[in-house]
Amino acid sequence: MATTTVARPSGAGTSRAGTARRVSALLAGVAVLALAMAASVMFGSRTTPLGDVLDVLAGHGDPYVTSVIESRYPRTVLGVLAGVCLAVAGTLMQGISRNPLADPGMLGINAGASASVVTATAFLGATSGAETVWWALPGAILAGVAVYAIGAAGSRSGGLVRLVLAGAVLSAVLYAYIQAVTLSLPKVFDSYRYWVVGALAGRDMEVFWAVLPFAVAGLLVALPLAPGLNSLALGDESASSLGANPAVIRAAGLLSATVLSAAATAAVGPIAFVGLAVPHVVRAVVGVDFRLQLVFSALLGPALLLLADVVGRLVLRPQELMVGVVTAFLGAPALLYAVRRMKGTS
Amino acid sequence: MTTPQLRDHPAPAPAAPVRTGGHLRIGSALALPVRRISVVVALVLLVLTVLGAVATLSLGRLGIPLDELPGAVFGSAEGKNRFVLGRLRGPRLVTGIGAGAALGLSGALFQSVTRNPLGSPDVIGLASGAGAGAAFFALFLPGSPVWLGALLGAALAMAVVYVSTGTGFRNPGRLVVAGIGVAALATAFTQYVVYAVERDNATALTAYINGSLAARSWDHAVTIGLVLLVAAPLTALVSRRLEMGEMGDELAAGLGAEPRSTKTWAVLLSIVLSAGAVSVAGPIAFISLTAPQIARRLTRGTGPHLFLSALTGALLLVLADLAAQQVPWFDNLPVGIYTMAIGGLYLGYLLTREWRKGNL
Repeated sequence: MATTTVARPSGAGTSRAGTARRVSALLAGVAVLALAMAASVMFGSRTTPLGDVLDVLAGHGDPYVTSVIESRYPRTVLGVLAGVCLAVAGTLMQGISRNPLADPGMLGINAGASASVVTATAFLGATSGAETVWWALPGAILAGVAVYAIGAAGSRSGGLVRLVLAGAVLSAVLYAYIQAVTLSLPKVFDSYRYWVVGALAGRDMEVFWAVLPFAVAGLLVALPLAPGLNSLALGDESASSLGANPAVIRAAGLLSATVLSAAATAAVGPIAFVGLAVPHVVRAVVGVDFRLQLVFSALLGPALLLLADVVGRLVLRPQELMVGVVTAFLGAPALLYAVRRMKGTS
Repeated sequence: MTTPQLRDHPAPAPAAPVRTGGHLRIGSALALPVRRISVVVALVLLVLTVLGAVATLSLGRLGIPLDELPGAVFGSAEGKNRFVLGRLRGPRLVTGIGAGAALGLSGALFQSVTRNPLGSPDVIGLASGAGAGAAFFALFLPGSPVWLGALLGAALAMAVVYVSTGTGFRNPGRLVVAGIGVAALATAFTQYVVYAVERDNATALTAYINGSLAARSWDHAVTIGLVLLVAAPLTALVSRRLEMGEMGDELAAGLGAEPRSTKTWAVLLSIVLSAGAVSVAGPIAFISLTAPQIARRLTRGTGPHLFLSALTGALLLVLADLAAQQVPWFDNLPVGIYTMAIGGLYLGYLLTREWRKGNL
């Protein structure tokens, strides 16, 4: 699969024109994210003009508008956090597995986290949003390991389709379990309904602070991996001769991706396709260098998630559509596009 | 690839050289080649389905006692029995049998076309597409025929899969991944539709997404009956050509069964059958995946096993729905959740087996 995207040696491509292009792309990425954040604070069941928002931020806004903004900003902040986590995790997974279809949602990680949270809520008495983080994490890791174990067992050819299928199988079984438990226990259903469908609404800053350490830890592992991922893209042998250890890079990358997806899922519920779609867009914009890919994923991921959230607020006004539904709409076409470009897997 | 000189001399119709065993003779004009094991398996499946149906009608607090059951079914039912048979469980049971048979047939047809167990309507997004169409027609266009929505949704989903693989239905890897994408898209659409109309009705949402047989009426049973009545004879016509197709496209063409048109017909029939089942029961997962595979294993034979797949599908859905009604702790879960759990495990088993053989 990776033969289509041969990485440039990390020193190449640093001509002046290339640098200028990257800087402008970086600025554009920051601008898009800023716009998405502004839109996320402005739009709701009623639109707040940008001027009013700026007044509130400056500390002298109308008290009513202030309270509106205060109720909206945790959503924006959580969206940024979850978007960064999902997109970076997707980029890592696609880089490691050299698999343009890798996504925490498709590989069962989201389902694992959800099943774990539902179990904890139903049978172990977990209640608060912050507490769920600790349950989502082991579930996500277990599911990730299981999918890789099934999908990679005896694999000779990278096992692209196998991973996706193993993820689909695990997700189906876990989804059935989640449904069975939540539908049988109305109390669990009520408290976890929104969590399970993936929504940014109705969460508070407590969740953000609980998830933040995991997200930061995941990112701290991910960013230094970028040069290693670049050499990994040349193939294991070339990577070894460049001084990288493929096994270590893969293990660290997978660990980081799993922790990041678990953090995102714990924060906002299972949201599919952000981790799948964003890396494709990023590759099209900045090319194959993973140092740039990771940074841009961290910009475009939250932008996509926040915009999807805004769209979800607007299409059913004054009600809301969960962001997970919107990202599926936006992301599935990206998946189909990737399938069209798949090379002879049979 | 056609070989004209062979097409001028088609193989004599009754000859079925690969088969062993006797023929089923109807009068002196018609002799159907039938393997003895297929007949035994069909009888066993039939008996099990009847047992499942009896259990469905008689178990539980409202069940019709066993000694009153024959009288109620074949004679006339009175009082509580009349209500249970005519309103509560009768339509549900018949709809389940019909939908299961349709799903089994639909899966057998599609798997025969793709020559892959994974090329099954519920893996590649056909059922989800039908579910999305059905939800859209039922909720946004009240009064419109739900089956039409299911049909359009299924056809649209298959068209998207066909186009986005770039290689039609040939490459199983691409087919499955594109199908998973289309299924996700269709499910998201269904969620949107249900949330837009029945926002706080969570049961409606799970029924539309998972498929359910709760609260069926005789209308549902009649609908799926009509679909089967139209599609089953056509399926029987296509079946023999499909069997030839399993020997390879060129050989089939040589025997006069143009593979392209055979496959087109099979896919169309599969879409109609799936859409029919979905319009009365929702996108019930994994019946059309598992039924043909089980039928194939039971007879240890080749070929699409259309009739046995239909029987197996009916049996599976009746048993799953029996569980949905009678398992004590999970009170009245949609039947689709049971089939998803069990079918998911079966799919996992199937995958590891295919991988060991190196087929995928």
